[in-house]
Amino acid sequence: MILRTPPPRKRRADSSPNPDRRLVIYEDPPAEPEQSHHHSEQMICTYQCRQMVKSEFLDALSSAEKQAHDSESKLASLRDELSKAEAERKKFRDQCFYTEQELAAAKGREQALQEQLLKEVNNSQQRLKKQIHSYSELEVKLQNEMNLRKKAESSAASAEEKASLLEGKLSHVSETREKETSRLQNELVQLKRESKFSVTRISADLERMECKAKNAEEESALLKEQLEELRKQLNKVTAPILPHVTIVFDLIILLHQCLKEKNEAERKLSSFATQELPPTETNILLKHLQEELRNYESEVREAQKLKSSHENTELLKEKLLEEKGRRERTESELLKVSEIQLTAKKLEDELSAWKLMMKDIPGVACPDDIPLKFASLQKEVLESMLKVGEANSRLKQIEIALDAAELGKRNAVSEAALANEKAELSKLETRRIELMLSSVTEERDRLKNAVDELRKIRNVEAGGEIVGGNVLQELESSLAKKEYHIKELESNLCEQKEVNNRQHSERKLLSERLNNEAKRIKSLEREGDRLRSEISLLESKLGHGDYSSSSTKVLRMVNTLAVDNEAKQTIEALQTELQKTREKLQAVEELKKQSADAGTLVDSYISGKTVQLKEQIATLEKREARYKTVFADRISVFRRACCELFGYKIVMDDHQRSDGIPVTRFTLQSIYAQSDDEKLQFEYESGNTSILANDYTSQPEISHQVEIFIRKLNSIPAFTANLTVESFNKRTLS
Amino acid sequence: MASRTATKDIITLRGSAAIVSEFFGYAANSILYNRGVYPEETFAKVKKYGLPLLLTQDDGVKAFIANLTAQLTEWLESGKLQRVVLVIMNKATSEVQERWNFSIETDGEVVEKGVSREKSDKEIMREIQAIMRQIASSITYLPCLDEPCVFDVLAYTDKDVAVPFTWIESDPKLIANPQMVKLHSFDTKIHKVDTLVSYKNDEWDEQ
Repeated sequence: MILRTPPPRKRRADSSPNPDRRLVIYEDPPAEPEQSHHHSEQMICTYQCRQMVKSEFLDALSSAEKQAHDSESKLASLRDELSKAEAERKKFRDQCFYTEQELAAAKGREQALQEQLLKEVNNSQQRLKKQIHSYSELEVKLQNEMNLRKKAESSAASAEEKASLLEGKLSHVSETREKETSRLQNELVQLKRESKFSVTRISADLERMECKAKNAEEESALLKEQLEELRKQLNKVTAPILPHVTIVFDLIILLHQCLKEKNEAERKLSSFATQELPPTETNILLKHLQEELRNYESEVREAQKLKSSHENTELLKEKLLEEKGRRERTESELLKVSEIQLTAKKLEDELSAWKLMMKDIPGVACPDDIPLKFASLQKEVLESMLKVGEANSRLKQIEIALDAAELGKRNAVSEAALANEKAELSKLETRRIELMLSSVTEERDRLKNAVDELRKIRNVEAGGEIVGGNVLQELESSLAKKEYHIKELESNLCEQKEVNNRQHSERKLLSERLNNEAKRIKSLEREGDRLRSEISLLESKLGHGDYSSSSTKVLRMVNTLAVDNEAKQTIEALQTELQKTREKLQAVEELKKQSADAGTLVDSYISGKTVQLKEQIATLEKREARYKTVFADRISVFRRACCELFGYKIVMDDHQRSDGIPVTRFTLQSIYAQSDDEKLQFEYESGNTSILANDYTSQPEISHQVEIFIRKLNSIPAFTANLTVESFNKRTLS
Repeated sequence: MASRTATKDIITLRGSAAIVSEFFGYAANSILYNRGVYPEETFAKVKKYGLPLLLTQDDGVKAFIANLTAQLTEWLESGKLQRVVLVIMNKATSEVQERWNFSIETDGEVVEKGVSREKSDKEIMREIQAIMRQIASSITYLPCLDEPCVFDVLAYTDKDVAVPFTWIESDPKLIANPQMVKLHSFDTKIHKVDTLVSYKNDEWDEQ
């Protein structure tokens, strides 16, 4: 509140003429009577001063107002920039969230696609395998069945023809056989009768012949006596005796003939119950005998014919049996043919079904295309597997890039948080500036009011001097404050500008960093591709078998398998050949009995071959024996060395457990053992050695050692070494 | 060799060498059965790695594989073995049809200092089981071996290894322009074994 009559002020001692037009208020003297006189002069001066002060104040006010307006406008611009920055931040954040969501969705989609692809690939693989397997089986079956069918058809046709022919023959043969059998039976009966008759007749003739022979003998004896008498008479009378001699000679000749015929008859009789011809009825008898002989010969021939016919009948019977057997076989084959036809129908149906299925398969026109299609499908599967592998690798790369992007996002978020903090700080600053502005405006309003009051006071000039002085002082102080505020505002503005510049620069840095990271990611991707191609190249080289000869050498085990196998195979082949040649030899020997010439040739050939084969067998057997001896030598050397070095005789043999797993059993006996019962048994199976319990190991000392060394310390060599030392000590002490 | 701890088992160099050589023995048997190098009736079923596997009963082949695995164990314990390759060749023409490649990476620190590693036995068995299953399923994509075949085993060792008397130096028996399929691998933390099969391009594929 401005006083109307301000108190008097003392003059300042060091006051100088003020360059900025400040008025110095002179001190009024203390004398009161002169106060009114000076009051008017002072009033004039103060009015001018006041005017000047007012003008200056107004100028200062206007400048302050301008400054305030400028700061307001700057504040507004800062606010706009802040809002823009906030909007941009929100936009970036939204973009970030959106990209995150897209990434997550893409990941999920990719995983789902991958799983689906894998499932489809597995399913298609299994289906393909099954189909290939079934196709191959079916093809084989089909071929077999076709071949069988053809064979069966041909055999059935031929069997049918044969059967029909054989049936005809059979019927014919059976008819003829029946006829012949009946005829033969009749003939047999007749012959039997005739033979009986002839036998009786012959026996009668024989008796008769015997009687005749006896008579003939008696007569011959008589004749001999007569002859002798006649000879005697001859000696006496030769001439008249000649006819008698001739008769005698004739008789002798006849006798001789009779004797011959008798012998012949005897011979014949020995085959037909011997006959003797009497000398007197010789010719008739002879004729009769000849006739009989002829009859007998004819009978014999007939009998032979009968015999041959019997044999023929037997042969025919056998043929009949064979034909019956063939008939049965053909009937069974006919049944089989019907079964085969059924199977063929089934196969045809299956074939048609497969053909229909083939039509469903794209790119397949005929069965030959199926393997090609399978091969192409397999290739596709392999390619898809490769692609899947590549996709996996790319996925991994994308994951890595995702991780990097997440890191970048986190960094961006942190930076955004920092920017938020800064924005909040700037907000606070702006609020502070606003408050300051509001205070400034209040001051301004206050000053305006003061000015108005001053104006009012100007109109009321009385007692205004002191009030004007106070008001001036207040105005000056307020001006100083305002200037101070303005300076503060300016400094804040500068700080804000700096902050904005810093934020701009940081944003630029971040964007540069982002670009660099993107470039780095691309370069990393390129490097990854290059490395993958290198890896595939190296793997191909590895798979191919390449190696560096400076650091590696390739060794191969001497394959005794092949040699042994070859020897065994040659031995087996030679043995089979030997058997075959033996069989051939037997057949040839049988043939030899029939024809000697052919046998000699075959004999020589077979003997030469057998000699060769025997030589080969001998060499192979020698080789095998040599291998065995060499191996036995080496093994015995090794065993002896093991025994002498480790102190145990080792016996190895193979066993098979109840579950079928083959195991090797080792029986160890120490050379310092005091009895034969001191034996250790171990079982070796696929790299694992275990001790077997027996009487020796169940002894308390040994079982204790087994417990310690084998069960606890898991060391068999330590156990055996300890046992060796103990048994050596026992031996040496004893 | 291996003793049980709470969750992992201690693996020593010797134990790891035994595991790897045993694996190779069973893998070789499985390959010979699946590729039909020897007739089916010469194999008998056994249980190993939780799977029914087939082992040859032919004395000659058994002895061959036993000697082979013994030598591989020795080389593995000394850290000198780099690779083992099982080669299948045409008996008549000696042309290489397939190469089953088992690459081995050895931890040098274990060989030099004799330290041990920790890994669960079950985990190793699971890994080996996966490889055995893949060998069994390889017949679906490997070409058929119609002609009679024989097999041989090559060992890639360090240059300074002394050659045993039953082994000789050999060529690597490579296949020209092979097809390759990489199988799973297993790791005992001392030896890492990678499996790969390379085979001759089939005529059908070339068409």
